[in-house]
Amino acid sequence: MKQIWTMFVFVAIVLLLRSTALTALAARGVVIDVLVFATVVWALRYGAPWGASFGFVLGLAADLDSVHWLGRHALVLTLLGYAVGRLSRTLVRDSGRTQLVLILLGTLLHQTWTVAFEIGAVGGWPYLVQRVLLAALVTPPLGVLLLTLLRLGTGQPLFGHAVVESRPTS
Amino acid sequence: MGGFLPPAERRGSALVGLYAALSLLLLLSGDRIPAATLRGIGAWMFAPFDRVVLTVDRLAAAWRENLLLHEKISQLEIENQRLRLSGVENDRLRRMLDLPRWRGQLLRPAEVLALGGESLPSSATISTGRRQGARIGDVVVTGNGLLGRVSEVFGSMARVVLLTDPNSAVAAEVESTSVLGVLRFMNLPHPRLVLTGVPLSDTLKLGQRVVTSGMSRRYPRGLPIGTVSRIGRDAGGLTQEIEITAAARLSRLRHAFVLTPPPLPEDTP
Repeated sequence: MKQIWTMFVFVAIVLLLRSTALTALAARGVVIDVLVFATVVWALRYGAPWGASFGFVLGLAADLDSVHWLGRHALVLTLLGYAVGRLSRTLVRDSGRTQLVLILLGTLLHQTWTVAFEIGAVGGWPYLVQRVLLAALVTPPLGVLLLTLLRLGTGQPLFGHAVVESRPTS
Repeated sequence: MGGFLPPAERRGSALVGLYAALSLLLLLSGDRIPAATLRGIGAWMFAPFDRVVLTVDRLAAAWRENLLLHEKISQLEIENQRLRLSGVENDRLRRMLDLPRWRGQLLRPAEVLALGGESLPSSATISTGRRQGARIGDVVVTGNGLLGRVSEVFGSMARVVLLTDPNSAVAAEVESTSVLGVLRFMNLPHPRLVLTGVPLSDTLKLGQRVVTSGMSRRYPRGLPIGTVSRIGRDAGGLTQEIEITAAARLSRLRHAFVLTPPPLPEDTP
């Protein structure tokens, strides 16, 4: 139960950040994909079912916050949360490089999916590609930096080690 | 698939399947789902948090803004005196020419609580709602110019569709030239406000002010929209395509005003 409440609080914080500070940045062309960052972090920490649940709740809330159709963010963030959660058991989750790659791939996937709904004339493609690439360039380093600072601040690993299942030895 | 997966993974797979199916269903349903109520509840739930975040931000800027405003008020008071005299003169002249008088507009101040939209904000949630007298269709402006229209009204909040919404259209004119057009937001090839439908024969200059024309009943005449920043031709080559720099600073919205028109006279069609 506590985890559910924590999840909703985290979702609320992410949405607040998105609708205030990050909107001002996005208007200047700097898109920081905080939805992907939050989903990756949650899935790395709590695994696939929680990652998918978090992605779905966050995506649905983000859809409600926008004026477009529901389900656009929810679908892609659910799949992202699930995939990262599944991968988290076999990865060194506290490694900066792992986080960088996961956030990079997640941002590319999310932004490409979002942009796909806006594709119109060929003339507009460079702007959309630029938006995707800029988000993919900016979000991962900032995300990893934030996680590193948190790890240094708390003095302990944020995600723990990968689970290695014990097998009976013959 | 479930046969060879451990129970926990089966549960996870079932869960993600359920979420994905639900998301797809929502996506495919599109506009058939009435999301306005849900959005209203969301806006209501987030309003207190939005206020806290924005208050912190605003306190930091308030002192500096206060100084600037004092200076501006002094300038405006002087200008106001001059405009009052002009107004009296204008009233007298319109009466002499048998023209209808300008109708006053009631300004309701509102705080911008949140902005929504990808890349550029296309909608805003403001702190003035039904209880404060806001209605669907009311015009929203800032001190600099037109912002958009109220599209949904809740108890003490309202959602505003900004000029940057791709579905928004504003009847506009280039100030003091009578050149008419329709202002639209175009996302491609790059996000911009464009005055469309202007004949090639109309001559315009960069920097000219664009205001609402009052040709539609949605917006009263004379509200500043922006200035002409680029003049080109549309893809068909039949009309001009004029890019406009918005007067209202959409990325720095803090306060806005809801413009409530007075009731129309009975003989108005």
